[in-house]
Amino acid sequence: MARYGMVFDLKRCIGCNACVIGCKQENSLPDGVFFTRTLSEEYGVYPAVNRVYIPTLCNHCEDAPCEKVCPSGATYTRPDGIVMVDPDKCIGCGSCAVACPYDQRSEMKAEAFKDGLFGTGEITPFEKQGYPRYTPGMVTKCDFCSGRVDAGLDPACVVTCPTDARIFGDLDDPNSKPSKLIRERGGRPPLPEKNTRPKVYYID
Amino acid sequence: MAVKDLPIVGDSFKLGYRLQRYWDTPMASAFFFGELGAGLFFVSLLLESAQGMMAGLLITGLLKTYFHLSHMGVPTKSWRAILRPDRSWISRGLIGIVCFIGFGGLHLLNVMGYIPGFGGLLKLLAGAAALVVMTYQGFAMSHSTAISLWNSGLIPVSSLTYSATAGVMVLLASVPESAQFLIPVALILHLVVAAVLLSLLHAARHGSPGARKSAELLTRTLYAKWFFVLVCGAGVLLPVLLLWFAGNVPLMAMIAATGTLAGYYTFRLLIFKAGVFEPIMSFRP
Amino acid sequence: MAATPDAVHNSIKPGRWVRSTCKMCLHSCTNIIHVTDDGVINKVEGDPTNPSNRGKLCPKGNSAIMRHYDPNRFTQPLKRTNPEKGPNIDPKWVPISWDEALTLVADKLKDCLQTDPRRIIPSLEDFQKMNIWVWPLAFGNFNFFQSGGTMCGGAYHPINGYVHSAFAAANDAKYCNYWLNDGTGDGFSSHLHAAAQSAWVADARVKRGMRCVTVEPRFSISAAKSEEWVPIRPATDRQFALSMCHVMVNEGLCDYKSLCKDTNAPYLVGDDGYFIRNAEGKIYVWDSADNRAKLWDDPTIGEFALEGAWTVEGKACKPAFQRFKDILADCSPEAMEKVTTIPPATVRRIAKEMYDAAGIAADTTIEIDGRVMPLRPAAYNYYRGAQGHKLGFQTNHAFKMVNFLLGCIDAPGGHIGVTLDDQWVDHSHIEPGENGMIKPNPHQLGPVPPFAYPPQTFHLMDYFPVGVHPPHLNLEVFLNPEKYGLEFRPDTMIVCHSNPIWAMQGPREKWFEFMRSMKFIAVSDLIPTETTQWADVILPSNDVFETWNMTMIEPPHTEGMCMRQPAVEPLYDTKSEEEIFSELAERIGVLDSYNEVLNFALGFVQKPELKLEPGIKYTDKEIARRKGLLWNDKDLDWYVEHGHAVTERRLDKWYRPWEGMRLHFYIEDMVKVRDDLRAKMDAANVPFRDEWAWEDYQPLPTARLDPVHNEPAEYDLYGIFFKDIQLNFGESLSNPWIQDIVYRDPVHIALMLNPATAEKQGLKALDIVKVESPYGKIFGRIGISEGWHPDTLGVSNSLSRAKTQSKGIKHAGGHFNDLLPYDLKNTDGVTGQPETVCKVKITKLQEWPDHLKKGGSVYDLVDEIAKPGKGRKH
Repeated sequence: MARYGMVFDLKRCIGCNACVIGCKQENSLPDGVFFTRTLSEEYGVYPAVNRVYIPTLCNHCEDAPCEKVCPSGATYTRPDGIVMVDPDKCIGCGSCAVACPYDQRSEMKAEAFKDGLFGTGEITPFEKQGYPRYTPGMVTKCDFCSGRVDAGLDPACVVTCPTDARIFGDLDDPNSKPSKLIRERGGRPPLPEKNTRPKVYYID
Repeated sequence: MAVKDLPIVGDSFKLGYRLQRYWDTPMASAFFFGELGAGLFFVSLLLESAQGMMAGLLITGLLKTYFHLSHMGVPTKSWRAILRPDRSWISRGLIGIVCFIGFGGLHLLNVMGYIPGFGGLLKLLAGAAALVVMTYQGFAMSHSTAISLWNSGLIPVSSLTYSATAGVMVLLASVPESAQFLIPVALILHLVVAAVLLSLLHAARHGSPGARKSAELLTRTLYAKWFFVLVCGAGVLLPVLLLWFAGNVPLMAMIAATGTLAGYYTFRLLIFKAGVFEPIMSFRP
Repeated sequence: MAATPDAVHNSIKPGRWVRSTCKMCLHSCTNIIHVTDDGVINKVEGDPTNPSNRGKLCPKGNSAIMRHYDPNRFTQPLKRTNPEKGPNIDPKWVPISWDEALTLVADKLKDCLQTDPRRIIPSLEDFQKMNIWVWPLAFGNFNFFQSGGTMCGGAYHPINGYVHSAFAAANDAKYCNYWLNDGTGDGFSSHLHAAAQSAWVADARVKRGMRCVTVEPRFSISAAKSEEWVPIRPATDRQFALSMCHVMVNEGLCDYKSLCKDTNAPYLVGDDGYFIRNAEGKIYVWDSADNRAKLWDDPTIGEFALEGAWTVEGKACKPAFQRFKDILADCSPEAMEKVTTIPPATVRRIAKEMYDAAGIAADTTIEIDGRVMPLRPAAYNYYRGAQGHKLGFQTNHAFKMVNFLLGCIDAPGGHIGVTLDDQWVDHSHIEPGENGMIKPNPHQLGPVPPFAYPPQTFHLMDYFPVGVHPPHLNLEVFLNPEKYGLEFRPDTMIVCHSNPIWAMQGPREKWFEFMRSMKFIAVSDLIPTETTQWADVILPSNDVFETWNMTMIEPPHTEGMCMRQPAVEPLYDTKSEEEIFSELAERIGVLDSYNEVLNFALGFVQKPELKLEPGIKYTDKEIARRKGLLWNDKDLDWYVEHGHAVTERRLDKWYRPWEGMRLHFYIEDMVKVRDDLRAKMDAANVPFRDEWAWEDYQPLPTARLDPVHNEPAEYDLYGIFFKDIQLNFGESLSNPWIQDIVYRDPVHIALMLNPATAEKQGLKALDIVKVESPYGKIFGRIGISEGWHPDTLGVSNSLSRAKTQSKGIKHAGGHFNDLLPYDLKNTDGVTGQPETVCKVKITKLQEWPDHLKKGGSVYDLVDEIAKPGKGRKH
């Protein structure tokens, strides 16, 4: 069984956020919800300035605290390591959201579904066909496009990234793209001291 | 690593600290009323005040339930919160609340003479359940490493301490005859509260970057005024002074109790508002 | 792609995939569109079979669905009932039938054709559909009121036409090892096929260790990913390039072999700027081996001299290279530092690094597909920010000169000309010209009107024989018609896929006067814009998912037609642009003429069986079909199956397609065209000929300052305008997904200043300010960042919208372009390129002016987003 993870190549990322929109497309996200964000950090003093673009998303931790604290059992981990949220079971208590050290949970507010992406209450056909997957009020997150993964495809954000800065694959396969990159270029997970054992690694 | 120099960002795509807002005012109110009711019940149980126990059960049963449901994203499915006591403090706590309302109610009926007490068993169970409700929310907060300010054993201690203190103060203010006995207890409990607050801040100021940012919010920046005036001043200093000098005066006792409750509620609110998520990395030297 | 019946992820729901071409910018990445069994478009992805964008899409391409389902879309033709027009005035649209709409428009156009066709002023800007762009040529009208291609391409395209005989240019990411970006985002954030180019460049940087250097006033994405950022004062990039050339020319850091063999650098030039020719018109060079002048193709030439001075045919002359070296004497890094603020040591080091990286000393070569060519993997790339200045022609030429000296023009690893639309596979864009040189080809965007006085165009295009249209001059002429001798006034405007009221440079208030002077305005578009606000009739068009097209738009590294096909039936009562304009053409009696224009413009004359016949109104599908057949003889069914005919660029068309000919290092055309134009103006007694910018015509670039540097001293900062990949080459700010990412990006939410500058000006972050140039003013709010040259105020395009009927668009404090000049003094006399930088002064305000206090602005949204804790409703 695979153990899925992701690598972000910070040398490649140009902060274009195509991934953010590709994800919104794929997952019919309501307004205000992001399953992935690409942040930037600018530092230094003119003219010695630096800026790094840092993609972020759910780290699908091996020791997922969001799963541990979920009172209804809505959050669970698949055998292949993808941490999922069951929309039928979620009660929207937010325990997962305050348990995630990476702040990768999103509330799916009922008003967002009602107001629509254009904020006028006019719900587009795109939204109509996509929103039923969610229970308004639930708190959920990136699921590595689990359905696409089951179909043998990479997640939407990975596929659309213009610079191939997002690399997805089986961390248990030493020859997979992410495994090789982690090995060859020293991949490191974010905030390891939080002890959640994230499966997303950063290389630069 | 100069992560501390990073700003607090809203939803901008800037690396920085993000304020926790998933557990906000409704949840803080739910926590407050849950612990207040249980604390009041527990002290009333020890002092055998039926009215106190009744008030405690109602506060938790009605107000906590109302605020907690208003916080929930899917209130209609919220009964599911009880399903994972093996891992979730929310589930454990909900069982605790059910037991608290149940056994508490039965014990109250016993005290009022309607049913037998089973040799003190009901009292024991009710008391135990109350203790669970007084403490479990703190455990729910401290369970994860995410919000460093909450990730401390002092948080469940703060829940227990505050709820006991609040319970004592409400009784003290509403049952003047108990004042003589309760004033020393109240004074000690307020000192414990002060000690817990100081320890929490101390741990935060020397903890992870997230904890330090929270401590900064509470003591120097965004929430400093609220914290010092309401939590420390109205919530600790004022009641201590009033109790010391004029605890027997019913009016003073009431003002003191109001201060305690105001400080306690503000604490509940601020401990939520000052919670931050740390930036996941930083490249600045 | 496998579909799952109960899938929740959009791309794997039951449905079909349609191969098509993106439209969210003017380039032609291809995509695949997922349509569910219920006919809903729920995912767009890049087409993985296209060797250009290889399955990738930029954020704009990813957001196309929100354009398609935008509730603000026009659903049927509309007629204005409110005679009062203005930016915030409700037109009070009433729906009308297509027949009524087309009749209304056709009647007005017919009236113009019968009285004076010059009354029509078109603004037809669908860059992916040149067939619409050239529609006014059907009745000989060269008026032009669209901004596309002027700020970025006014001088850029003519120079590329002279040097590469191509439309655009970019560095060769396949082999380049030292990539310098000056005022461009190629490979990171903008310009050519952003999704594709950024993949090439990322691979080059990560796999091959390509070094990037970015020269820019702002710390752009390109700068952030580069090994070195060289901050430069705005509007001084030409001086930087010339200082680089100074170092290279004076320290022997040039590819002399290439200069002698591949360019006209050794050709002898007289003091009058013309080549020295014999009686037959053949050009002389100097043979230093034989120490005498010989004709350029004399087989006995031992060594071409690049430096020296002699007398030949009785005229004092020097090689063109020497002429350039003479100009460069005043362009040392030390002298240019005063202008650019770049330390001389930096210039000297970069020049040396580029020379070393280019492999000139070792004369490195590479064999590709059996052809051995010079390998010159160091190149100077540039675009919009660097090229958009008054002395545009010289500016672009200066950048080319660095590449000439590196010997990397069109070489593997070097700076390569990129054609726009080859039309057919074997179409070589190189033609031999006179005296061994390639034929110059400055008119990359189609024919230009002939000289005429009085002017036959409202924007004085009669006087820019080399240029791209200067639409900003419409305002200059509108305000001074007598000065320019206009005998006509345009009063009938027809707009398609164009938003000049948003983008044109010059103060909005004056453009509104121009619009008010129009008796009739017809606009074809998808959603309400700043321009539709002024329309009398709206002709709503089909969108990207509802039309056919076949196009190739300046792709680097690849070539070939990209097909668009409808993924769904039109959602509303809209028509294709082809249907609208062929119908109008028929109704006004120019259909046959239009079809003839198309036969030439689209290249159908190459394959006569494809020619459009008189009397037939051709649909978008039929035109697409012909363009596909023209390219590779494949019919539409082949394209529907494959989506595109894109392959890697044919190497004989890509690398040194002019092999054996000489390039225009020295552009003699400048003196020829200048003198020809001056003679014509003299003969016609053109009243403004003495103030025409004759000195702009230079065969070699000079270091003369652009006039922007000489504005009154009270304007103490340089204002620059910029975009990134979410915004470039299109309108995307009406799109909620684009707003989501743009207004969260620290770079796109304020008027940006360097902190030291802010302190000197007494400004802090979030201060509300008025920004004034000598030409106009805008309002905004300050942001602070170290990533800015201290002389600069940076204004993102994200802050450019005005309030329109499209409810989602966030207005800011005025368009940067309000600050820009529209006069002749700030226009390149050669190409019509307008100045795109302005000097500004900042005044702090206590509060917003009244018209910006009403909420719904960019800054209100930014505040909601940036508020710590929960600021937004959702």
